[in-house]
Amino acid sequence: MLVLLLAASQLANAQEALLQRLDDALTYQSSGGLFRSDLSGLVDVEGYFIDHRPPGLLFGNADLFNPRLSLFLDTHLGSQFYSLVQFRADRGFDPRAMPDGDARFDEYLLRWTPWEDGRLNVQVGKFATVFGKWVQRHDSWQNPFITAPLAYENVTTITDQAAPGTRAAFLGRRNVADTKATWLPVVWGPAYTSGASVFGQLDKFDYAFEFKNASISSRPNAWDAKDLGWENPTVSARLAHTPNAAWNYGVSASHGAYLLPAADATVPGGYSRSSYRQTTIGTDLSWSHHGWQVWGEAMVARFQVPNVGNADTFTYFVEAKYKFTPSLFAAVRWNQQLFDTVPDGAGGAQHWDRNIFRVDTALSYRFTRHLQGKLQYSLSHENGPVQQGEQLWAAQLTVKF
Amino acid sequence: MQLTRITTAVALLLGTLVAAAQGTASVEGTVTLPKPPSQVKINPRYAAQAGALLPPEPPTAVVFLEGAPLPADDKPATNVVQVAQKGMQFGPGLIAVRKGTRVEFPNGDDFYHNVFSYSKAKRFDLGRFLKDEKPAAVTFDQPGVVKLYCEIHEHMRGSVVVLDTPYFVKSDTNGVYRLTGLPAGQFKLKAWIDDKISFEQPVELKPGAASRVNFPGSP
Repeated sequence: MLVLLLAASQLANAQEALLQRLDDALTYQSSGGLFRSDLSGLVDVEGYFIDHRPPGLLFGNADLFNPRLSLFLDTHLGSQFYSLVQFRADRGFDPRAMPDGDARFDEYLLRWTPWEDGRLNVQVGKFATVFGKWVQRHDSWQNPFITAPLAYENVTTITDQAAPGTRAAFLGRRNVADTKATWLPVVWGPAYTSGASVFGQLDKFDYAFEFKNASISSRPNAWDAKDLGWENPTVSARLAHTPNAAWNYGVSASHGAYLLPAADATVPGGYSRSSYRQTTIGTDLSWSHHGWQVWGEAMVARFQVPNVGNADTFTYFVEAKYKFTPSLFAAVRWNQQLFDTVPDGAGGAQHWDRNIFRVDTALSYRFTRHLQGKLQYSLSHENGPVQQGEQLWAAQLTVKF
Repeated sequence: MQLTRITTAVALLLGTLVAAAQGTASVEGTVTLPKPPSQVKINPRYAAQAGALLPPEPPTAVVFLEGAPLPADDKPATNVVQVAQKGMQFGPGLIAVRKGTRVEFPNGDDFYHNVFSYSKAKRFDLGRFLKDEKPAAVTFDQPGVVKLYCEIHEHMRGSVVVLDTPYFVKSDTNGVYRLTGLPAGQFKLKAWIDDKISFEQPVELKPGAASRVNFPGSP
């Protein structure tokens, strides 16, 4: 990786002018300025080196190499209409989820902004959730880490595919490694689900409300409207206050059914998918000044599990980033997720998943405005005999144009 | 418009008379400038836009004399220049300074700004700073063009042309410039507009005389 970074440094100096010209050339504007379209992109090359099975939303059973091309088409029509299309070619939305390669439109949205001060925006399409604050900085150029916070990627024993037969069967999942093809985190990354949202800024307050086709924990193949309609929608909202430029704090909430049609046949008689919901309440706080940026989020989620009852979990993270030089910055993040108990069917109660903590550290270097390298080390520990990615090294090189 | 023309003509005449009296040379002319840029649109993908956006400044040019000897009484630059960030634009968007000049970047908006550059002539990052705090500043100690950016507002662009000569001037928005107090001799006169557009022409300056050089020159 060091060799790759040194090569990148040489490449950066040689190619900076070319990338700048490419950046400029990928913009089209009509003569009067009524129509403007910008094509931009990120090319990520990542490597993950793990001592156990990969943790979180890293798929497969060993170290992995993960290239990714993301293209963004931002288009403005006049001052009131804006659209975004995000196309990605990679090894699956989550690294190695599709080992042989995949290409998708991850986001497509149309936004109407009737007033220039941004007090009201109405948006329809497939786009990132309004829940929480991390989503606003989730792309590889802005995220100081390579992986997402625990709250957005730690896979729990909740499944959207089938109702557990018994409480014991549900609790038994704690003793095996994550089954990522069928289990869910509290929030699945940026949760690019489909629907509509209303959001805006009123003086020092930001508000956002969305009506989507799938829960914030839903997996990527449930996000598209052609895969899942709005029969069992999820509503989410966020309200935030910015008392001054340095501080921002907000509260978020989300409520909706999380089971997929595959679970229909397994839910108890007299109930349906819509009887089992995910309710999540979160709070976030951020502060920045000079070279420092600090973020924190905490959320409580309740999954109503067929044949089990309410499965509650609390997760949070605190993250800090500091710029040492114009190019070099470091970040550290403490993550934890705690699981409540559910009745075990034998008169007692047991934690329904393994408590986990994880500390993430990362060093990033921006060679130019178009090239960035990151190195991450994470140490995590789960209660119980099954460990997944207790030590993780990851490296990422990003070209932005 | 008529009044502007008369004022300009009187100023040029006075400048010529002063130059003649001092035995120094002057040069004046017009730089053909590109069309003003269109209003930038911000792409706030995941949040509402904060604050009103001012239109970008119309283009101007920095005209400077290269190869001329420094004046006998030349002193290092000690002045302080300000480039504000207001309405999510650098203002002025283009400045020319002598090597050693300190430039302050006051934030005129109610939200954070940042200034950074990865240019060879100066690599710096001032972090995030507020409207009410002491403006962050940078001393430009190497000649060259320093491109300015804000990491929070990607559309923001600015340029500092750092020069090793006291003989420079910034044109007005019509491209009109006038450089006075120049030594006599044969030099290069250059006009810098942006990374893609710059001109240069040889010029012969005579004591007490005003030369005229337009950019681009005749083929």
